[in-house]
Amino acid sequence: MALNSRTRSLLLLLSPASIFLGIFFLGPLIIMVIFSFLEPGLYGGVEWNFYHWNYGRILGWADGEWEEFDPVYAAIFLRSVRIAFINVIVTLLICYPTALWVNGLPSRWRTLVVFIITLPFFVSLVVRLFCWVLILRPSGFMNSILLGLGIISEPIDIIFTETAVLIGMAYVLLPFMFLPIYASVEKLDHSLVEASSDLGGGPIQTFFRITLPLTLPGVAAGAILVFIPSLGNFIVPDLLGGAKVLMIGNLVEQQFLSARNWPFGSALSVTIMLVMLTLIILYLRRLKRMEINQ
Amino acid sequence: MKRQLFTTFERVTVKLSIVTVCLLALPFAITTPATAAGKLNIYNWGDYINPDVLTRFTKDTGIEVTLDTYGTNEEMLAKIQAGAAGYDIVFPSVHMRDIMQKTGLLYDAKVNTLKGFENIDPANKRSKVDPESSYCLPYAWGAVGVFYNKQEAGEIKTWDDFFALSDKGKKITVLDDLRETIGIALIKNGYSVNTGNSDELKEAEAWLLARKDKISAFSYDIVSLVQSGDIAAAHWYVGATLYTLEEPDKLGFVIPEEGATMYQEDICVLKDAPNKDSAIKFMEFYMQPEIAALNTLQQVNGTANMPARDLLPANLKENPNTNPPPEVIKKLQIFEDLGNNLRKYNRIWTKVRTAQ
Repeated sequence: MALNSRTRSLLLLLSPASIFLGIFFLGPLIIMVIFSFLEPGLYGGVEWNFYHWNYGRILGWADGEWEEFDPVYAAIFLRSVRIAFINVIVTLLICYPTALWVNGLPSRWRTLVVFIITLPFFVSLVVRLFCWVLILRPSGFMNSILLGLGIISEPIDIIFTETAVLIGMAYVLLPFMFLPIYASVEKLDHSLVEASSDLGGGPIQTFFRITLPLTLPGVAAGAILVFIPSLGNFIVPDLLGGAKVLMIGNLVEQQFLSARNWPFGSALSVTIMLVMLTLIILYLRRLKRMEINQ
Repeated sequence: MKRQLFTTFERVTVKLSIVTVCLLALPFAITTPATAAGKLNIYNWGDYINPDVLTRFTKDTGIEVTLDTYGTNEEMLAKIQAGAAGYDIVFPSVHMRDIMQKTGLLYDAKVNTLKGFENIDPANKRSKVDPESSYCLPYAWGAVGVFYNKQEAGEIKTWDDFFALSDKGKKITVLDDLRETIGIALIKNGYSVNTGNSDELKEAEAWLLARKDKISAFSYDIVSLVQSGDIAAAHWYVGATLYTLEEPDKLGFVIPEEGATMYQEDICVLKDAPNKDSAIKFMEFYMQPEIAALNTLQQVNGTANMPARDLLPANLKENPNTNPPPEVIKKLQIFEDLGNNLRKYNRIWTKVRTAQ
């Protein structure tokens, strides 16, 4: 087969990445899918027999021998989706106005703000979340300050609640919402906004008919970037929720550790991945359509 | 299963890494270096041996020691099963060492023929599959009870006192461990913590569900919160004695009157251990009473070494928690391997943790 030099050099350049992804991404993925159809080993690992209960279990079906029908796992799935969804809304409401505001700043301030927003990535997530425990606990910083200022008379008790989980999640994932929105706000052609007001559009009309539609791809990208890690997060519910808010990520972790049920853990992971893939495909299609329209 | 003074940071890192290991690295063996003579590679729980013991061992024998740590029995098992090579000795809980012996991961070190074995309390030979302690050396043990802040909780004597605290608006936490926490429910209902009987387990589940809203959190990381009084009382390990001895007026630990669970870990040599001679030397070294006492002094738990107990200072020797009297020991239950019944426990655990 005759390859021209361009194709050959392209192949050569792509091969390290392809081999790397093939071994370290595709390989484990295939193992996971295979495992999700096998019988759990008594002491971890798998028995090489086909076992169809793993996926049924997610909906509550039980093998009848060790368990009874109970849709507890489906409930966890729904709760995780709900919390992830709320988190998307919360981060969006915080980040969108912030992005618009940052975009209006002089350019060296803008660089500084973007740098500050990415700064937390330099510190371990667990350390940062443990600081939140110290902030939120009844005798913690937040309550000391509010009590000291006389704003409240009783400590606010939110540690180990869903509210604490939502605060923690929003905190962890804010940059993932902010950066894509900021990127699309920055790209926004300001002459369009000016044209809108020249033609008599009020600020509200301009926002909904010009700014928002043009920055929507950034919003969608941010939403996906926040939704996916929210769904899989198990550290925030553990530390700030006192492990009382069991999420899908905790469930997967539990299957591999305390429950020693690797196939069920794999089945859960495969299911999460399918949900995510569907979302991303929908997003990409939508994006394409929007580009065509424009 | 016990986690003594394991920090959040280590644990979550460990959780992340183990899930990754299970999902991704299964076919790739994890290798640890050092197999030459005169070395010993220890794989132990975090903070579960006095570093001075290891220094002393190197000084006495010239054998170089490396120490890696894990956070749960399951994590250690998963790594050894996945082919982690290079480790010589591990410190599994008794039920886990039974699993490891059954699955052929352990080497028969003929521990009961080694010098110093006469020091070991026969009561600490707790293994079901190795009742004569031929494979493993009983290491340390302790009760799992209630660690509490006296200013917030007052005096606590029973599990009922513990759960009653939440009615007074105080916060209580239980361990984020399915066997320990379902264990309380089984003990309160008068059953074995190793039962496989579905009716008994249902009763325990209902008991626990009825108390779910009294529980503020399922957590290990409570020491600073009990010290600050944000949590009044917590289901925790006897290792809390370390803190109660520092602040005896403020902090307390109790083994509830109804009974409690206990943990015990054994020292075992792995079948694939590259330095079996060093491993056996370490076991003989550890059977010396003054070495076991040196370790217990820092670990503040129970030792299996009888003469070592007499070498301890009074605040540990006469402590009803670290060295409980026989009638209390009788009320302590130890975990056994559940086999497939673990699935029933797991379902209960998921339900309890999801209940609103």
